[in-house]
Amino acid sequence: MSVLSISVRPNRMTCWVLSWFLFAAGICLYLYTAQKRHKENPDDRVVPTLAQLGAGIYQAAMNPDADEEPAADSAGQSALERFRNGMLWKDTVASARRFLYGLALLFPAVLLGLHMGIFPYFGVFFLRFILFFDKIIALSVLPILFIAFGIDELSKVMLIVIGVTPTIILDTFNLTKSVPPEQVVKGFTLGARDFDVAYRVVLKQIWPRVLNSIRLNLKPLMLFLFAGEMIASTDGLAYRIALLRRHMGMNIIIPYVLWVALLLFLVDLTMRLLNKRLHPWFREA
Amino acid sequence: MKSRRAWLGLMLLVGALPLAAQKPAFTVGWSVYVGWNPYYYMAKSGIMKKWADKYGITIKVQRFDYAPSLEAFVAKNIEACAMTNMEALDMPAAAGIDTTAIIVGDYSNGNDAVLTRNGVTFKNLPGKKLLLVEKTVSQYLFERGMAMNGMESQIKRVHLVNTSDSDIAAAFIADTSHEAVVTWKPLVSQISKTPGVTNIFNSSQIPGEILDLTVVRTDVLNRPDGSGQKFAKALTGAWYETMGLMSAKGPATDKVLAAIAEGSQDSLPSYKEQLSTTHMLFTPLAALQLATSPEMKQKMTLVKTFCFNHGLLGESTKSMDEVAIRYPDGSVEGKSDRVRLRFEKAYMQAASEGKL
Amino acid sequence: MVPGSLADTGAAPVLLDAEPATDLLIRLEKIHVSYELADGACKKVLDGIDLDIRRGEFVSVIGRTGCGKSTLLRLVLGAERPTEGRVLADGREVVRPDRDRGYVPQKYSLFPDKTVIDNITFGPEVEEFSLLTRFTPLFYRRRKEFRAEAMRQLRRMGLHGSDAKKYPDQLSGGMQQRVAIAQALVMKPKILLMDEAFSALDPGTRTGMQKLIRQVWRETNTTVLFVTHNIAEAIQLGTRVVVLAKDGAESSGSKVALDLRVPDRAEEFAEIAERVEAATGHSHLDEEE
Repeated sequence: MSVLSISVRPNRMTCWVLSWFLFAAGICLYLYTAQKRHKENPDDRVVPTLAQLGAGIYQAAMNPDADEEPAADSAGQSALERFRNGMLWKDTVASARRFLYGLALLFPAVLLGLHMGIFPYFGVFFLRFILFFDKIIALSVLPILFIAFGIDELSKVMLIVIGVTPTIILDTFNLTKSVPPEQVVKGFTLGARDFDVAYRVVLKQIWPRVLNSIRLNLKPLMLFLFAGEMIASTDGLAYRIALLRRHMGMNIIIPYVLWVALLLFLVDLTMRLLNKRLHPWFREA
Repeated sequence: MKSRRAWLGLMLLVGALPLAAQKPAFTVGWSVYVGWNPYYYMAKSGIMKKWADKYGITIKVQRFDYAPSLEAFVAKNIEACAMTNMEALDMPAAAGIDTTAIIVGDYSNGNDAVLTRNGVTFKNLPGKKLLLVEKTVSQYLFERGMAMNGMESQIKRVHLVNTSDSDIAAAFIADTSHEAVVTWKPLVSQISKTPGVTNIFNSSQIPGEILDLTVVRTDVLNRPDGSGQKFAKALTGAWYETMGLMSAKGPATDKVLAAIAEGSQDSLPSYKEQLSTTHMLFTPLAALQLATSPEMKQKMTLVKTFCFNHGLLGESTKSMDEVAIRYPDGSVEGKSDRVRLRFEKAYMQAASEGKL
Repeated sequence: MVPGSLADTGAAPVLLDAEPATDLLIRLEKIHVSYELADGACKKVLDGIDLDIRRGEFVSVIGRTGCGKSTLLRLVLGAERPTEGRVLADGREVVRPDRDRGYVPQKYSLFPDKTVIDNITFGPEVEEFSLLTRFTPLFYRRRKEFRAEAMRQLRRMGLHGSDAKKYPDQLSGGMQQRVAIAQALVMKPKILLMDEAFSALDPGTRTGMQKLIRQVWRETNTTVLFVTHNIAEAIQLGTRVVVLAKDGAESSGSKVALDLRVPDRAEEFAEIAERVEAATGHSHLDEEE
């Protein structure tokens, strides 16, 4: 049977092999390139070998940032303590904190979108402005952000907010609008008040879709977070990557990039499973 | 008439193609900086082509952003590149690319500066935040400033905020809660215009430590067909011809300088202002004197120590001697089998003797 | 809108002459409805409707697609306001949907995010407890009672206890409409408004549902306004059939073309069906689906 047939059903083994093939090919290509480059130049830093990567991971995970004031006694620490003082963990915590602030600020955005969709006065008041605001490229007005929010933590969180919330507001607005009018009328005929209809009828049924929308916006969110950390910061995953890029510390950059990918994947997976668990009635359209 | 000329041009081009293909081709990369902008003029005025033709090679002059130009050089995509002595050490040399500096173009003589507001000095900098692009000459300048003010032990108590050079001026000017910044021109000029900002330390206090070089990969220079040497000669020839035009006394000089300034969309007054804090080594003799001076070794050691202390020579580099420097007099600092950066005087010397 | 202000939004009570106030439930007075189209033209839907519905009646409203029968129902519901004229329920002008008029639409009749039992208890819960008071101990006590009542309604509609924990999309169309009726009835509305409630069901299920609604109507003494485009359904269910039809040009709005009491004797159905068919101006209403 032809590979280019729609009606074929590859068996389990084939599926497994095919779906991992590109990973394997990528790794092989990398190892080949690394080995070749190191034969030409043993000090090559552009494509580190596995051993260099391993050393890089160990150093990133277990050793504190060299520029930091050294801790009182780093010798007597257990592996876990060393990991928690290591730069990978500290950077992850710093970035995760900003990430969570950004994420938390999406919830007011959801409520705003909901209100805009349900209460006509809200909609009229906000919609046009937010449609406009949505088109502003946050990174192009950085000096304004610096004046308004400084260049510390607040401006990084605000960059996320300005970059991602309009999308979430408009998305929630559209989801609210797509709730059949019968549902709202039904709510009223059952004695519900306006806020009951907004929160207990409409919000409850769009909620899983809103979560999905947030999930799909995690990557833009991360992008803005990284942009913020690369512009000015003292810690964080993107800070480290920006710094190491300056002298081609690829042996640490590559593990960092993979670590970020893994974290994002896990957050995404958690949200997906949680959504399924919390909303058993929800079927994706 | 026009179309005939176009045809003629096309035919010439087609005729020249196979010829050009046979000629060894080289690329020199540069990025916007007062001391490297002349490359723009060399390419535009045809000086570079004239010298390339003289040596029977082709030279492409390509503009980059600074970091990508270094990456391109390390990845061996380009043969020559303009960079500072510090990056020559921590990018190609530390990455195992044997690199030769053929031209010492200038040194920063005030281009890099530590600026503060509210009268902050080195004495009360510890505990405060400092905006800068970390692990660059900015940080080197800051540490030298601290050291020269007897604050060496307090260096780690200053909180460095790694700030992208594209935003650092806006960030410092807009956010007045930050009191200190280290950066370079033209950003320094921009920030200095803000009321209440003072220049507490700059590179004129450490002359000759931040050098701007033109480097070529050593394996290119050593190509058996000799084309690499021709490339270095052509490059040096073109460089000093341009330097001559820049330093000449007369009305034509301003035209040349304006054309150079154009390379970074800069104005003539602004470019002249930057030149005033740049010690250009206009003549090959001046460059040669600096490169062969005994202080040169001391200063390079300072820079290398900084690079090593900040892990810029690679995490796996256990000793400073593993990235060795060879000076024009043949002496080697570090392990002689691990020479990674060479200062070569032959081309500057040839230029000074008019032998190119 | 401040919660609790619902009751105040109606107009002042209006005294009705001629009819004894106790008997009359819904009155539509000189109703005109027209929409402005995108090109600025005006489309008339209803053109001078006068209609009274008395307590205990089962009124079937029938007409061709687009004749405005759903609009009529939505006017009574309060989901839509007339361009001219007014709708009165118990002498008060109807301005918005409220708990006195139950609603069973053709689609989206249940809340998809709530189980069957939660769908039914939603009304009583939301009526008695606001978003804040629903976290008090009293709420949990009352909820037990709500649930018990909901289970009674569920059984009456012919559902099993095991269906209570299912979500609407796990039920068949007929089951969903049963739950929707139970959900409306648990509020003890003065009138039940059903908009093509059975039109999406297959014929077998539909017959069952017709029997059920007729039985519920008899047992609970609820007034029903039943909109359908199926003549047989309209006659078999209703004690009264109202036909809406345009009386001339396409651009005109619908009027009441026929308003008949349906006798209990089945032999007269055929004759009535003929008259209804003639009044709608179409002989194959069912084919419009």
